[in-house]
Amino acid sequence: MRSVALVVTGLVALAVLGPLLAPYDPTAIDIPNRLSGPTQTFPLGTDALGRDILSRLLYGARWSLGLAFLISVLSLIIGTSVGLIAALGGRIADWSLMRATDTFLAFPELVAAVVIAGLMGAGTWSLIFALSVTGWMRYARVARGIGLSVQSRGYVVQARLAGMPGWSIARWHYLPSLIPSLTVVWTGMFARAILGISALGFLGFGVQPPNPEWGAMLLDARVHMRSTPLQMIWPGLAVVSCVLAINLAGDALRDALAKDGQPG
Amino acid sequence: MLTVTDLVVKRGARATLDGISLSVPAAGTLAVVGESGAGKSTLIAAILGLLKPATGVITWNGAPVRAARPALVMQEPRAAFNPALSLRRSVMEPIAAQGITLAEGRLERLCAGLELPLDLLDRRPAQVSIGQAQRAGILRALIAAPPLVLFDEPLSALDAVTQKHTARLIAEVQAEEGFAALIVTHDLGYAVAHGDRIMVLKDGQVEETADAQTFALSPRSPYCRALRDAAISLGALGAAA
Amino acid sequence: MITAIGGVLLRAVVVLSGTAILTFALLWHAPGDPAQAIAMARFDALLSDDVIDQVRQEVGLNTGFWQAFWAWLGPLLRLDFGYSAVTGRPVWPDLWAAMTYTFPLALAGLAIGLALSLPLAILATKRPGGLLDRAAVAIASLGAAIPAYWLGLLLILLFAVQLGLLPAMGARTPAHAILPAVTLGLGVAASLTRIIRSGILEARGQPFLPALRRRGVAGQAVARDHVAPHAAIPVVTLFGLELAFLLEGAVLVEVIFGRPGLGTFLVTAITARDFPHVQAVVVLTALVFVLVNLATDIFYRVIDPRIGAEDA
Repeated sequence: MRSVALVVTGLVALAVLGPLLAPYDPTAIDIPNRLSGPTQTFPLGTDALGRDILSRLLYGARWSLGLAFLISVLSLIIGTSVGLIAALGGRIADWSLMRATDTFLAFPELVAAVVIAGLMGAGTWSLIFALSVTGWMRYARVARGIGLSVQSRGYVVQARLAGMPGWSIARWHYLPSLIPSLTVVWTGMFARAILGISALGFLGFGVQPPNPEWGAMLLDARVHMRSTPLQMIWPGLAVVSCVLAINLAGDALRDALAKDGQPG
Repeated sequence: MLTVTDLVVKRGARATLDGISLSVPAAGTLAVVGESGAGKSTLIAAILGLLKPATGVITWNGAPVRAARPALVMQEPRAAFNPALSLRRSVMEPIAAQGITLAEGRLERLCAGLELPLDLLDRRPAQVSIGQAQRAGILRALIAAPPLVLFDEPLSALDAVTQKHTARLIAEVQAEEGFAALIVTHDLGYAVAHGDRIMVLKDGQVEETADAQTFALSPRSPYCRALRDAAISLGALGAAA
Repeated sequence: MITAIGGVLLRAVVVLSGTAILTFALLWHAPGDPAQAIAMARFDALLSDDVIDQVRQEVGLNTGFWQAFWAWLGPLLRLDFGYSAVTGRPVWPDLWAAMTYTFPLALAGLAIGLALSLPLAILATKRPGGLLDRAAVAIASLGAAIPAYWLGLLLILLFAVQLGLLPAMGARTPAHAILPAVTLGLGVAASLTRIIRSGILEARGQPFLPALRRRGVAGQAVARDHVAPHAAIPVVTLFGLELAFLLEGAVLVEVIFGRPGLGTFLVTAITARDFPHVQAVVVLTALVFVLVNLATDIFYRVIDPRIGAEDA
């Protein structure tokens, strides 16, 4: 848990504080200096419009990381609610909600996101909508599974008998069992969101210019692959390192949970 | 007074309980005995309102039994407590949930009666012995002073010595508090020793109901006689009670 | 067992219906006037309202939701995908042509991925926790973090631009398929390595294995008859998921490499708001997903009859 919290805080800090570290305005156009390689003034070089790549990377964290965080939390809320209602709401609610979940799962996430984002008109809101709508299902399944198993536990029965209100039971008796597993799922979804945002950005359907999103930066860099190949490396590296960090933290958490044999 | 009339509980097409009627007077004790699968746990669940019967009426003093807020002592002491919370927190749950104020010194008195050191309550369920956990479970059941307490195999998870000890404490605290008790058990010896009346369940139906002494001396049905004889030969029941 | 399969089929039908409704709702609710967009794409000019209305009627956008849904669904059930809203040509032949580029690529990627991951996973699990094992996990984790499109770009940079060894764009020759297949295969290898490895480790951890060995069953036989089938269950399930995601990956990779497969087909269709094209791709991929899941579901239940009991 601790490594996850650490990694996440680090990434969120990067997203929030990154722009403070940026030496230049990421949208400042500077044609005479365009497409320069790494130099003293521009540590990572400039892009086709002369914008400083380092600054764009740092500002880009807000989009690629910040949006990913938002999207993964949104789908967490949606998915967990669906899963819990399925677990606690009776057989019919369970069956229909799980079939709905299956239906959404039947859509290949990326293709669906591309279609949604594309049809809704490229832009940040469509991006958020598309990725949230295609990302909640895994949470629902996990939440339902845990909800069902906790529901029949002795202390939950006792709480109901004692007359505890539903929200209190949820807070004290369900949440401790839900949090570990949901966090593991969430790390995976956070990473997936980062990859999704940059994939859509690369296809041109996501965050729109001049906003410096990493995938979109890759799209720009591709055109100039022959002249300034280095330009292609940085945004990709940024994505890879963030995703890797989250995945490793998530793995560590999953292994730790498996050892404990799932507390609660 | 707890009154159950013609209770029928169905599971699919099968009836797990088929026309059960019983009564437990205030401060009285009814021991319900039966093999596994006889329907004992279903009976408890029905009385507590945890499942819906197909037919039947369950009342306490004429009103729906739920109003009396009956409490439950479970078979597995540790499963009855949230492992993440302190025992005190869990024990106080009924008080917190029903918004009652606890009478001055009640907690201390009950703990003394159940031989539970007060500081034990600040521990987590995993940090106390099984016997202590079970007594904490009884404490929780009694804290809000319910008039009716159901016991689902309260001694089964305990070792023989602790069983005797806990059984005695239950009897003592019942005499103090004056609640009506319905005790489900497969242990005929315990049933005879601590029940005023005994009801034998077989395959979802009442095989026999009698007061404890009569039952121990001369059970009416052959099945019950076999039960009693088996208990005697195992030493659970003193010969001729 | 028949009831189990029946249940699975019923679920598949429900899911497919839901998929159809969702797809249609998506197309229906796309903001902006789709008729206008289609007309503009088709005639490449700003048009009068009459023409737009004519297009609207032609494409069937002027009726209510459910009427339009049934009108839309009917032909689809006959596998008649209609005509492109932009080019007017029938959809199916173009779709099929695109598929002939995508499916082989996906299979090639899968083959490469398996060829890399299976030996690696088996070797790594010979000494769990050992150097090779930890290296394999590290590489796999790294591979999972690398976006396919970036990998593709890097490979292009290295092999096509710098070294001039392999062609990059288009699909003219079989050699053009090498880089895309390798890009795909590497990504697949990364996830498959982890899946197969944990499947083997889990199967190895079964409680009855030491008893078998004590009875003198040879190591090879144990591996073949007891570890492999048990490992197969989670592997096959996740494998089924992988197959579906393979399609997704192939779609992305094609866009990078400029191959005329489903990926480019889809992206062009979306930009041009060519609904018949878009829905054809969505329905197709959804169908593949559901069928693959159905197959793994059935296979899973056949292998382990316990599974059916726990759902719904």
